[in-house]
Amino acid sequence: MKVKVLPSIQDIHTAINTVSDPEYPEISIVDLGFLENVEINEVGEVFIELIPTFSGCPALETIAQDVREATEQLPGVHAVEVTWLNSPVWSVKRVTEKAKKDLAEKFTVAVQIQNKKVECPRCQSETNIKSHFGPSRCRSIHVCSKCHEVVETLRD
Amino acid sequence: MMVKSTLTSPIKEYLLAFADDEHLMGQQHTEWIGIAPFLEEDMAFASIGQDELGHASMLYSLVLGDSSEIDGFVFNRKPEEWRSCQLVESNHREWEEALMRHWCYDMAEDLRWELFRKSSHPELVSISERALKEEAYHRRHAEALVENLLSVPSSKSRLMEALEKIIPEVLDLFSPMPGEEDAISSEVVSGKYCDMFPVWRTRLENRFGVLDPDLFTGIDDVTRTRRHSDFDVLFNRIREVFLLDPEATW
Repeated sequence: MKVKVLPSIQDIHTAINTVSDPEYPEISIVDLGFLENVEINEVGEVFIELIPTFSGCPALETIAQDVREATEQLPGVHAVEVTWLNSPVWSVKRVTEKAKKDLAEKFTVAVQIQNKKVECPRCQSETNIKSHFGPSRCRSIHVCSKCHEVVETLRD
Repeated sequence: MMVKSTLTSPIKEYLLAFADDEHLMGQQHTEWIGIAPFLEEDMAFASIGQDELGHASMLYSLVLGDSSEIDGFVFNRKPEEWRSCQLVESNHREWEEALMRHWCYDMAEDLRWELFRKSSHPELVSISERALKEEAYHRRHAEALVENLLSVPSSKSRLMEALEKIIPEVLDLFSPMPGEEDAISSEVVSGKYCDMFPVWRTRLENRFGVLDPDLFTGIDDVTRTRRHSDFDVLFNRIREVFLLDPEATW
């Protein structure tokens, strides 16, 4: 009988890393800080725990489905269970430097850390808040004081 | 991993009142999408409504033990099985009423979540932590807008008129809920919600000035089993799409 080869946790991470946020194609949900925990048991059942940006985010089922599909393709994976956790609470502190750079360059989106001033992704000048609520629940709207670019800002 | 609920029926009933309030408040806010007086308010009401629906989902999941059953549970229930309060059931047709309800409700909501902070049920501690973080935005929005509008005499008189109409409904929000005593004795919550009412009233009078004390009499003993006369219209509206195909997975 053949010995069943199971993927490593690192292999699963790599697979999940290919899943991007529906709002931001090409930006990995891992870099956005959604992935909390991955486990695999001896029969190839994978348990993935994610945390949502906001409790009412309508994209959760889409993201969970994408994560399931990406993981199921790994040889040795028998079943995948994706759970959204209520704790810990997501924060922009979980967003990696790579994702911040991509958000700025590809989407003109800034990331606000606590109450610090938000920098314009185009000209690096200071921005001013225009609206605390933006096109989705996790974004506010800023306007650059110099180039007048409207800057969507990912925030807690 | 899934947390197995050890909540008793009376405590579930108690949580259901909160979930129903949150769900209907979220639904009411979403009515302003596309027709709010200006774009920023359109987005704010959409986002705030989305949060309240999210909070309701977290609580319903806990009550039902399975998030996939939420839609069927919410939309197939009989009116008498709801545990929502008058404040979230009444259909406010005017913008100033919707805005004052948002102010009144969100100035009361964090006080409600605070009671779960040290809950004996760990999942409720997590949920309250998440909700309280989101609620800080709701209060900031409500305060900033109301503060601006109060500086204009004509706006102020409209807001004050709306407020007098809404305060009796806020009293219903704070009224004792079925199962509350069980929730307190098992330390699911740290106290009675109506004991937080003076905190809310202080917030109110700090913002709007001292109001006629007669407005604040009469928190009823038994509520939440009766429906507001607007409920049927609201209920039919929110389940209109669901009823097109009750078996569909959304």
